[in-house]
Amino acid sequence: MKGNLLYLIAFALIVIFIAEMIGFQSLPIGGFTIGLLPLVFAIIITMVLGLGIFRKGFWKKVYSESNINFSSKYLIFIMLPLMARYGADVAPHLREILSIGWVFIIQELGNLGTVLIGLPIAIMLGLRREAIGATLGIGREGELAYISEKYTLESKEGRGVLSIYIIGTLFGAIFFSVFAPILLDLGIQIEALAMASGVGSGSMMSAASATLVATVPDMESTILAYASASQLLTSFLGTFTMVFLAVPIQRFMYKLMVRSEK
Amino acid sequence: MAAGMNKYVKYGLVLLLSIGLILFTQEIKLLKYPESTPVTALTIYGLVSLWFFSMIGIFISDQMQRVRIKVIRDFPILGWVSITSLVFCLLSDFFVEAIQAVDFLSITTPILTFAGISVANRLVDLRKTSWKIAIVAIFVFTGTYVGSALLAQLGLFLAGN
Repeated sequence: MKGNLLYLIAFALIVIFIAEMIGFQSLPIGGFTIGLLPLVFAIIITMVLGLGIFRKGFWKKVYSESNINFSSKYLIFIMLPLMARYGADVAPHLREILSIGWVFIIQELGNLGTVLIGLPIAIMLGLRREAIGATLGIGREGELAYISEKYTLESKEGRGVLSIYIIGTLFGAIFFSVFAPILLDLGIQIEALAMASGVGSGSMMSAASATLVATVPDMESTILAYASASQLLTSFLGTFTMVFLAVPIQRFMYKLMVRSEK
Repeated sequence: MAAGMNKYVKYGLVLLLSIGLILFTQEIKLLKYPESTPVTALTIYGLVSLWFFSMIGIFISDQMQRVRIKVIRDFPILGWVSITSLVFCLLSDFFVEAIQAVDFLSITTPILTFAGISVANRLVDLRKTSWKIAIVAIFVFTGTYVGSALLAQLGLFLAGN
């Protein structure tokens, strides 16, 4: 058990070494430039090597059940120093943040975009009850708890939210790290994107804000301050926004769209 | 009580691993980009502060489980740690300087390394989700991010920034 953990740590060191040596790469695609950070390489390497076909012999010791359990159980603790770092980023900017506090609160409502944009698409694709679970939010712990309490996770709604949860866990960080700079290219202000990065998931927020920092390094302290302030706000207000706004709006839109079809 | 202590020792060790990996990452990054954030004595103080604030945050979160208000019980450890750190950083600029001597991007690489390993068993679950939901997922993620970004842009414009 202890021996296996050492394999895991050694493996992590090697992955970090490779990811950092690849460094920051920019990839021009069409009119956009996508920046790929070491963190993207790190998650891709570890995910690919974790595929079943690779898990033989030596890799089986690295990706042993106990090591995978260790990683998922303690991921949140490994993430804590990052959260502590955010405190130091917010502190020097606190006055400025409070002076535009209402902007932070307003942009929280943007999280309703999951319903407003996601639900019509889901209905158009022919999804019904799954769509309720899949578009309530980005499928993090809050939505998972709400849906499982109301419909259970075995229901169609439950399957919808679980699917989003899985997809988000696997690809959320990669998605946001690629997507955030594209919006910057489209002309959205860096401060606005920093605020929007507080989507409610630690790794997605880190990926979104990290890629913004890499794109505009001069703004590092502002980006991190805004992103983490907004993330904190999402942790406080997220449940309220979901229960009092997302749920009723979703119910209304769902009835409207599904009925008008018949 | 002994079990309780044991739990905190475990958290302490995991956090030690975490800050150790951050230091390692920052050193490697310096090999590749010598002009990035240097490792100095201040960096070490910064890492120790991060460790310390994380431990306090864990402790507060544990204590809050006794509170009757559900929102407070459900508030994530991640949030308590940020708040703890924020309070200390407001009290003394030293913490701000020390913590900012820790390279930000070097904190993120080890986290995503473990995130990648932790999902190893979930990859199979992908088969259970349909391609339709995968498409919906793209719009759901886009929706929350673009929605917030546009409202923030509008708000900042109205605020005159």
